[in-house]
Amino acid sequence: MPATVTKQAHANPGVSRAGSRDTDYAALLRAAQAGNQAAMERLLMKSQEIAYRFSLLVCGHADDADDAMQEALLKTYRHAAQIKDPGAFRTWLYRTVKNACLISRRRRVGEPARLHSLDGDSLSLDGVSQPLELEDPGRRPDQVLENTRLRRALDRALLSLPPESRLIVFLREVEGLSTRDVAAVVGISEANVKTRLHRARLSLRERLEAP
Amino acid sequence: MKTAAERQCRRLLEQLSRYIDGDLTAVERKAVAAHLRRCPCCRTMADSLKHTVELCHEAGAARLPADVTRRARARIASLLASDRSGRSRT
Repeated sequence: MPATVTKQAHANPGVSRAGSRDTDYAALLRAAQAGNQAAMERLLMKSQEIAYRFSLLVCGHADDADDAMQEALLKTYRHAAQIKDPGAFRTWLYRTVKNACLISRRRRVGEPARLHSLDGDSLSLDGVSQPLELEDPGRRPDQVLENTRLRRALDRALLSLPPESRLIVFLREVEGLSTRDVAAVVGISEANVKTRLHRARLSLRERLEAP
Repeated sequence: MKTAAERQCRRLLEQLSRYIDGDLTAVERKAVAAHLRRCPCCRTMADSLKHTVELCHEAGAARLPADVTRRARARIASLLASDRSGRSRT
């Protein structure tokens, strides 16, 4: 990516408050490719945020998050300039983060970099994981407490899902990708995404409702 | 042997995600809505499933812990600075 900083074309291209749901990645990438340093920095921050959430919610290993964030950062910086179709950037980014997270786990425990290697009983929320902070700081303390309880219950429920279902829920529900984009990242048909998502939702609901 | 009502509830359960996602045809949507009005059990199920989905959405809107954000910003600054210094040497 060229380091030369040109005058910013947009004040806040692709801006969103938090998370990935409302971010216009294509706009952000175009601005970054045009030399907008603020856009590049936002893109690099987004890639790290996604890697952190992926580590926590899909892999269940927050202790791997720093490695995954570093890997996602470098890949995004090196390759952002070469992406010809900005519309395809978001799926590229999620595939990259997925691979970065799997590689960092493999490095740490010597596992093969395949998603199903992250499956099974070994998955747990490790002691150092920090829950994501809820966006609305204006909530009452009892609401904050209840939300924290629900968030932890959701983390546990997510980790109880089969790995591919967990990945689908993460991409579709947490990150807000379209069904088509989820299918592209996971490598299955859209119909399959919908079926698995429905089953995963039912399973999550059951676990969250359990006393 | 399942009753007609049970079969209807079963069919609705299969369509519930698509209903929540607004992915049904107008005719299907009306049929599901009508069933939900009649069947309190399915209505509870639909509300609960919707709540689960909303909870996942909230997780996506959550902020990262402050120290994680600080480290992320520091990484970006370091990367951009090393790239600039590399370019100025060449």
